[in-house]
Amino acid sequence: MNPTPAATIDSVLGNFSLLLALVLAGYNLIFGAISLRLIATGARTRVHPVRVLETARRAGIACFLAVTVAAGCLVYASFTGDYTVSYILHHTNNALSGAYKFSALWSGQEGSLLLWAWLLAAYGFALRLAHKRDPLLTGYASTILSAIQVFFLLLLVFEAPPFAIQAGPVATDGFGLNPLLQYAEMVIHPPMLYLGYVGFSVPFAFALGALMMRYPGEKWIRVTRIWTMITWLFLTFGIALGMHWAYNVLGWGGYWGWDPVENASLLPWLSATAFLHSVMMQEKRGMMKSWNIWLIFITFFLSILGTLLTRSGVVSSVHAFAESSIGGWFTAFLVIAIGVCLFTYLLQRSHLYSEHKLESLASRESSFLFNNLLFLGACFAILWGTLFPVISEYVTGSKVTISTPWYDRVVLPIGLGLLFLMGIGPLLPWRSTSLQSVRRNLILPGLATLAVAISMMAFGMKPWADQSSFFSIVAFSVGAGCIVAIFTEFQRGVVVLHKQTGKNYFTSLILLARRNPRRYGGYLVHFGIVVLFIGIAGGAFNQEAEQTMNTGDSVNIGGYKVVYQNMTQDSNDNYQSDFALLDLYKNGKKIASLAPERRLYLATDQPSTIVANHSTLASDLYIIYAGKDSDGQPVIRILLHPLINWIWIGVLIVLLGTALAIVPEYKGALPKAAAKPEGSAA
Amino acid sequence: MSAFLVCAILLILCFAYTFWPTGQLLVQRNKSQLEFLHERKDVVYDNLRDLNFEFRAGKYPEADYNAQRATLEDEAAELLRKIDILAAKDPAAAAALKTSAR
Amino acid sequence: MMKKIFGKELLRLWMQMCAVCLLVIFAAGAGNSSDRFNDLGHKLMCTCGCSQVLLECNHLGCQSLADMSTQLHTAIANGDTDTVILDAFAAKYGPTVFSTPRGGGFNRMAWIVPPVVILLAALLSALLIRRWRMRDVPAPASAPTPDTDAMRARIRKDTEDFL
Repeated sequence: MNPTPAATIDSVLGNFSLLLALVLAGYNLIFGAISLRLIATGARTRVHPVRVLETARRAGIACFLAVTVAAGCLVYASFTGDYTVSYILHHTNNALSGAYKFSALWSGQEGSLLLWAWLLAAYGFALRLAHKRDPLLTGYASTILSAIQVFFLLLLVFEAPPFAIQAGPVATDGFGLNPLLQYAEMVIHPPMLYLGYVGFSVPFAFALGALMMRYPGEKWIRVTRIWTMITWLFLTFGIALGMHWAYNVLGWGGYWGWDPVENASLLPWLSATAFLHSVMMQEKRGMMKSWNIWLIFITFFLSILGTLLTRSGVVSSVHAFAESSIGGWFTAFLVIAIGVCLFTYLLQRSHLYSEHKLESLASRESSFLFNNLLFLGACFAILWGTLFPVISEYVTGSKVTISTPWYDRVVLPIGLGLLFLMGIGPLLPWRSTSLQSVRRNLILPGLATLAVAISMMAFGMKPWADQSSFFSIVAFSVGAGCIVAIFTEFQRGVVVLHKQTGKNYFTSLILLARRNPRRYGGYLVHFGIVVLFIGIAGGAFNQEAEQTMNTGDSVNIGGYKVVYQNMTQDSNDNYQSDFALLDLYKNGKKIASLAPERRLYLATDQPSTIVANHSTLASDLYIIYAGKDSDGQPVIRILLHPLINWIWIGVLIVLLGTALAIVPEYKGALPKAAAKPEGSAA
Repeated sequence: MSAFLVCAILLILCFAYTFWPTGQLLVQRNKSQLEFLHERKDVVYDNLRDLNFEFRAGKYPEADYNAQRATLEDEAAELLRKIDILAAKDPAAAAALKTSAR
Repeated sequence: MMKKIFGKELLRLWMQMCAVCLLVIFAAGAGNSSDRFNDLGHKLMCTCGCSQVLLECNHLGCQSLADMSTQLHTAIANGDTDTVILDAFAAKYGPTVFSTPRGGGFNRMAWIVPPVVILLAALLSALLIRRWRMRDVPAPASAPTPDTDAMRARIRKDTEDFL
């Protein structure tokens, strides 16, 4: 009997490199802070403080190496099946395929914290490499990041060690990975989401650093904005992948359940979106400086709060993380972070005085104000809904549930308000404006909105009948207005450039996007959001059928005919499957064979459904093999989801637009009409 | 044994990199008043270009456009005046800025 | 002067639009659905631990779903009012069985707080806008000097190209 097995090389090296990373991050934090202080006060020292700051920066880079080695050790342990490591024993097994062995890295508490620490170090690495442009600001940002890094490494070393050794004899096989996580999307969804969460540390560090050093001028806001955009891109992608996974895997036919874990990912997304809008006020007009800095702070706090809420067991969630003691750590960290931000702000707020005034309510500026109001309103409402069960239990002693119907009533109207603003905002010119020009700009989109609303009602939609038809009619009509508004913006810009340069319309469009990628990328994002809303609004037309089927039985739904043929079985080392074989007919013609599946995972003895989905742009026919009835006949559940694919298309457009908006603008002179070709410009 | 060897190598690598003596120091110059003014001038210029663009795109009525252009031009003129005065005092710095500007 | 009038007029327009929207939303929420089972089924949660609304539970052969649906069907067939039915469920499963907080007392806060906070924030931003609009900006103290025109010409030359 050997109670604790000898430590393997991966666990020794893993543990050691985490400890080393902690030392290096600690060095970066302490000596970075000291040297920055010395530089700020201009004190004379034996060693030049800039030299010390340089070693701190390098310690940060070395920390990345050390955390990388630790993460590598965990992956290595997973691939080699080192079951002396408790984490590997609990999250993998021999039959697991390669990609999922890799994803074991983030399928549990300890591993996902390690991933978090690694991504933070990677962001820090990128930031510290690009320090030459603005060494002092980068020095501040690097030191602030190292403080966050120290927190995560402390957690990994003392509270949630990923390389803890499993007591008792070494197992020959692991307990396996949660079958719900064995999907392609689950290999990329968590890293993307974490890239989003963790990434907000970077703009946070820049903003706090700029405030601490009283950065002269406004250039720092640009760096902060670009990092926020990159992070926002990842977070959006991560959330969308999660939705797609929920839709395809959980087999309940929905993509968003307002679960605390989902809400937690939406909170920083909303506040970051608010920031990306109001930051334009600062860059263009020098307004709302304090507000912007707090938006960035809040976004960071929310990304930490989300983790705190979902991992500490404060709110109950269907997501897999077990209750654990890390809640206290996160609370302490959050309190310290808020304290530091508040203190710095109070000390330095005179630096954030804004010089411009608002000329008119009908200007772009005021639409940004309303935009921020609604984004933060949505943020607050979701936070309130997530926390209310806890608050209610504390106040009244009895727990209540806040579920989808509540969010539909409270948050959806705010979403539609935002959609409405999205149509109007970009049409309002900057600074003051007369109502006359506003009217002129709004006529076409307004007409489109009305036309769609009227024609939908003519086709029998009753907005007063129930909530979902009301919301869908508003979404479709306002969405149409938005699309017209966005299209007009592009068309106007292209015409101006066409006149100016004499280039054809297509070239003008490219030129337009290159001259101001941020604006036109932004419009593309807006367009994607409208498409996404249209996909969501399609949910008002969902249809559903559930039936026990014998061979030859059929179900008619949404113009499709589903005919049951028979059952079949299959198995491999990892799971056993039951398939129901169905034929799909449309207009009397067979168009597809579908095979919804039920799996039983052998390592965990957990069942799982694999949905068969006949997906077109018009609708998804989503078929679930719900199980067998008492006679052994399969129960088939069929859901028709109109327009749902537009959600994913909308997300892709949003991602594309964001990527475009990050591209630096082309600053050369424009080619003149009837002059030399473009090549001679610049 | 090999585990400790690898650990030692990692340790040495990290510390050697961190404390390896550096040649020249990257000391940040303080931003001069001139640079600061140039930054602000660029913002006002960008706003003016935007205004021109939006006007040509048909988003402003003529009167509104003229009034706003006048305000922004006054703002820019004020900055340019200050820049000119400072540049006259320190031609070398102004020339250096010009070459580094776009 | 003109601008101020426009500003006020627009503000009123905004407020009217918001009021109409709110009215319609609440009217829609109170709309009567003929399908009481579906309606009530969405006011209840499935108690099997899936954290989903009763009629959305997707568990294979979920016993809770079956039991609760039967109870609901029976109650509706008996001609019980919504309140009686829901109270019976609450008595059996506790208040967490409702998909949204129900009844008076503190539970009202779930519904009241978000709109109130948003309204307060809107009020605050309105005040802020007022303050901003009142703020005096030191007007460029440039009396038309001879170089003003030259300066303007220079600026226009620099910015005739646009983004």
